[in-house]
Amino acid sequence: MSAEPFPRPRNQQVGGSPRIHAGKAGQAQRGLAEQQAAPRAEAVPRPNVESSAPLRGELTNSDLDKSFTIGGQARPVLENINLTVRPGEFVSIVGASGCGKSTLLRLIVGLDSEYGGEIRLDGERIATTSLDRGIVFQDHRLFPWMTLEQNVELALLNTDTPKARRAAIVAEHIALVGLSGFEKAYPHQLSGGMAQRAAIARALVTEPKVLLLDEPLGALDALTRVHVQNELQRMWLAQRSTMVMVTHDVEEALYLGDRVIVMSPHPGRVRRIVEVGLPHPRDRRSPLLHRLKDEILAELTGNPAGEPANLVTFPARESR
Amino acid sequence: MNALLSRRAPRLALGLIAPALLLAGWQWLATSGGASAVALAPLGSVAAAFVELVGNGTIFGDIVATLTRAFTGFAIGAGLGVATGTATAVWPLLNRVIAPLLNALRQVPMIGWLPLIGLWFGTGEGSELIVVCLGAFFPAMLNTHAGIANVEQRYLDVGEVFRFTTGQRFRRILLPAAMPLILTGLTQALAFAWIGTLASELLMGAGGGLGVTLQTAQVQQRLDVILVTVAITAILGFAINQIIARVRREVLRWQPASI
Repeated sequence: MSAEPFPRPRNQQVGGSPRIHAGKAGQAQRGLAEQQAAPRAEAVPRPNVESSAPLRGELTNSDLDKSFTIGGQARPVLENINLTVRPGEFVSIVGASGCGKSTLLRLIVGLDSEYGGEIRLDGERIATTSLDRGIVFQDHRLFPWMTLEQNVELALLNTDTPKARRAAIVAEHIALVGLSGFEKAYPHQLSGGMAQRAAIARALVTEPKVLLLDEPLGALDALTRVHVQNELQRMWLAQRSTMVMVTHDVEEALYLGDRVIVMSPHPGRVRRIVEVGLPHPRDRRSPLLHRLKDEILAELTGNPAGEPANLVTFPARESR
Repeated sequence: MNALLSRRAPRLALGLIAPALLLAGWQWLATSGGASAVALAPLGSVAAAFVELVGNGTIFGDIVATLTRAFTGFAIGAGLGVATGTATAVWPLLNRVIAPLLNALRQVPMIGWLPLIGLWFGTGEGSELIVVCLGAFFPAMLNTHAGIANVEQRYLDVGEVFRFTTGQRFRRILLPAAMPLILTGLTQALAFAWIGTLASELLMGAGGGLGVTLQTAQVQQRLDVILVTVAITAILGFAINQIIARVRREVLRWQPASI
């Protein structure tokens, strides 16, 4: 189900190579052990397709095309996207700006229904928005005229959650993102990180099958970012809904994603899919993550094909 | 300096300096003899006129008549203005049909309508009210339209993601997002209604009111009565402004405080 015909099949091996761990003690050993102890099929809960158990949150993009008309000319933004996200999987999408990452999320969430090919959630074609699909935008988009509590409760407006239970559910989700005590605050009274966490609470409160995250942490400072990443991972582990996150931070993509989709721009295409064979919760210091980061960065900065040898020569090169 | 301005008592005191100087200068000019004494009645005679007007009760009748006219006209005119502005913002087709006409009509100043209204409806109280309504209508309509038509798409996206109905979209996104501009429109509408009330009373002279008293006093050359009435008009206008500013702060308390 997950193995679509991608242009570069070599990616399947990326997570598996043990070479990189040689020479690094401690962390390297542990990372390797974890990786081997948790083969792919177990790391990601994948219901048997043959079984009659209902799928929850399987997202399929097949032959997806999207173009915008700019100055009278159709300009392709996304071309031939084939991607299946398994139920409960966390998929990160990285790529240079202009590769259509955000457009892809807008299509999946249903804010734009003009596209070629198919997007299906659990087999059903996506044509409009649905409470099954939630999204966290890059800017928090809380309504400035409502308190934090009202903003989160707004998401439940058209759900069949009984009115009497709503306040409790809202409080629960506000607590989940660590904002208890700020229920009555207006968005302008919250810091950027707090507002973004509130936006995450608002998206989670409807318990969508699929949660889309459009560079949700892009505007945060480095420290807040790490903090919210950890919370995001914790929430995902608790809720286990399918998540698709667009980011330009490769480290973030690798830390959170079961798989990392590398896209190339003009028009946006899937360039490579990287399996991150580490169980969650992860250790940021894992050498595997660092090696994958180097590889993906090399890919993104346009090193010619056949260059990965580079990475073997300079395995210690870690920072940007 | 800012500390001084942030406290209530000093703020009030500072605000009273200019009116006090004005009154002092006035009294000095009025009692110094010469040409200016004819133009300005001394404060004592103005106070006496005030006592007289209060004593025979006419001033209260005038205040009530003027306030009633201003607020009735405001309610009708601004109400229609907000409704029209909302409709044109929500339905672009309707906007296309009526916006050019309304934009041409609003170029005619409020007072410019008086001759036409006078011919059509006479110079009675009804005509005065129509002038007030017209004055209030346009600022309310224009600001409401601008407010609702320019609500950011990113907020509407959120409504779409949560499957808002048309009614929910209007009540929970369009209206609150446009509220700052709608209130600006209402503030302007009230100011125009106030001007329209005084102007139409002065020019039509029907049904009593501060404007009617001003006109009568002019004919009778009662400088003291004119000054009392002008002062009362100023104080009432000021009070109305204070009230609407407070309402605005209350309704928009979700906005950052500064600016």
